[in-house]
Amino acid sequence: MTYSIVARCPKTGRLGIGTTTFSIACGRRNESVRPTIGVSKSQAMYIRAHDPRALNLMQQGFLPQHVMDVQAANDADWAYRQTGMVDRGGNAVAHTGDKVGKYCGHKVGADYAAFGNGLAGPQVVEGIVAGFLAEPDAPFEYRLLMGVEGGHKAGGQATDGRYRPSRSAWLCVTNHLTFREIDLRVDLHADPVGELRRLLDDFLRYRAYYEKQRLDPASVAAEEDFVAAL
Amino acid sequence: MTYSLLVRCPKSGRFGIAMASYSLAIGRLTDGIRANVGVSVSQGFPNPANNFLAMNLLAAGFTASHTLGDLLGNDPHNEWRQVVVVDRTGAVAVKDGAKLRPWSGHVTGESAVAAGDMLAGKDVLTAMLKAYAAKPEAVLEDRLLLALEAGRDAGGEKGKSGPLHERSAAVVVCANDDHTEWDLRVDQHDGAIAELRRVHNEYQPHAAYYIERAANPHKAVPAMEFADMLKKKSA
Repeated sequence: MTYSIVARCPKTGRLGIGTTTFSIACGRRNESVRPTIGVSKSQAMYIRAHDPRALNLMQQGFLPQHVMDVQAANDADWAYRQTGMVDRGGNAVAHTGDKVGKYCGHKVGADYAAFGNGLAGPQVVEGIVAGFLAEPDAPFEYRLLMGVEGGHKAGGQATDGRYRPSRSAWLCVTNHLTFREIDLRVDLHADPVGELRRLLDDFLRYRAYYEKQRLDPASVAAEEDFVAAL
Repeated sequence: MTYSLLVRCPKSGRFGIAMASYSLAIGRLTDGIRANVGVSVSQGFPNPANNFLAMNLLAAGFTASHTLGDLLGNDPHNEWRQVVVVDRTGAVAVKDGAKLRPWSGHVTGESAVAAGDMLAGKDVLTAMLKAYAAKPEAVLEDRLLLALEAGRDAGGEKGKSGPLHERSAAVVVCANDDHTEWDLRVDQHDGAIAELRRVHNEYQPHAAYYIERAANPHKAVPAMEFADMLKKKSA
């Protein structure tokens, strides 16, 4: 049980993922995001070798649809996997195998793929998409977060009609540089989606400060002074 | 304002990195780790771009010390960085930039190095290495977390007007795969290392389950049932 959105920002070309799940520390799946290349997020009964292989292929120049075909041909248990991919061209694809836990499904649009399993119903996938599309002018990181929040508000995860809360969440955004621009995790929390928004709001107050540490450390204030001034 | 331990396990060849910091989400800087290649970090006033370059240089076969030289040569602000590199032989190379805030420095052990800036003192790093070395039979992720706890208990970080509590922490281990084997983080918490211990202990019994579920999906127990089983067991 997990739901995710992988997407490309049509305005900036940035790539990212927002995800939440019952499993602990979903953000440990950092192999699913490769700066300047793409995002491939496998879930349900995922094999962790899949995403690095998908990104290796994308790095060669293959399109996500071709990569998905290769993955399917290379996996005897493809019916148990669910995957979404997006590349820097905004090409998005998704796969939901027949044996993935119900409700499961995906929706693919220009620049995004929303997908989940162990969900309350199809309204959760619709909720992710609606959240992501709700404010096209919002910063990309918030659009991804609104996607996750949209899924959460639409009922999130459930088995046999019973609501199943998430315990972890992850938001990651990459730009043209070789390291992740934003990479925030909530590994174990009673309300990981709410905590992820709090964390993002707070981290963004520091973003320019941390950029200055990298680019112009000679003129940067002491961090404890910066924090005191916030 | 960070203390870190970077290691190569001489027995298994696994790499590990543990970090704690007053800065937020310090685990975002743990991307410089790759199976059979090495582990590296740029901290102090971090240049996260160093980590990717370090991995590429080590993968090309350069030693830790050569890699360090190239990283410094590529960074006009290298005096503000603390750059740590451990290569696949366990060789360690470190540069403590002259502009790091005090106390800053590093202490090396066997295929291991503790490094930090804005610390209570050198004792923090000595304590980390001692805790890491104390349980050679334990799994690497446990030894790394013990080291973070020891660094905290030896005084941790210190700012202009006294102690600074770590607000984020991470422990990451890489084995033979194209992904990290152990990778847990706390991005913002008043007692980040204690919170990481809580997550660590909760996660531990799940690690093997997540691998088994992937390899044998037809026989997999649903995640929720598995969590319930654990609860019953501990009750």
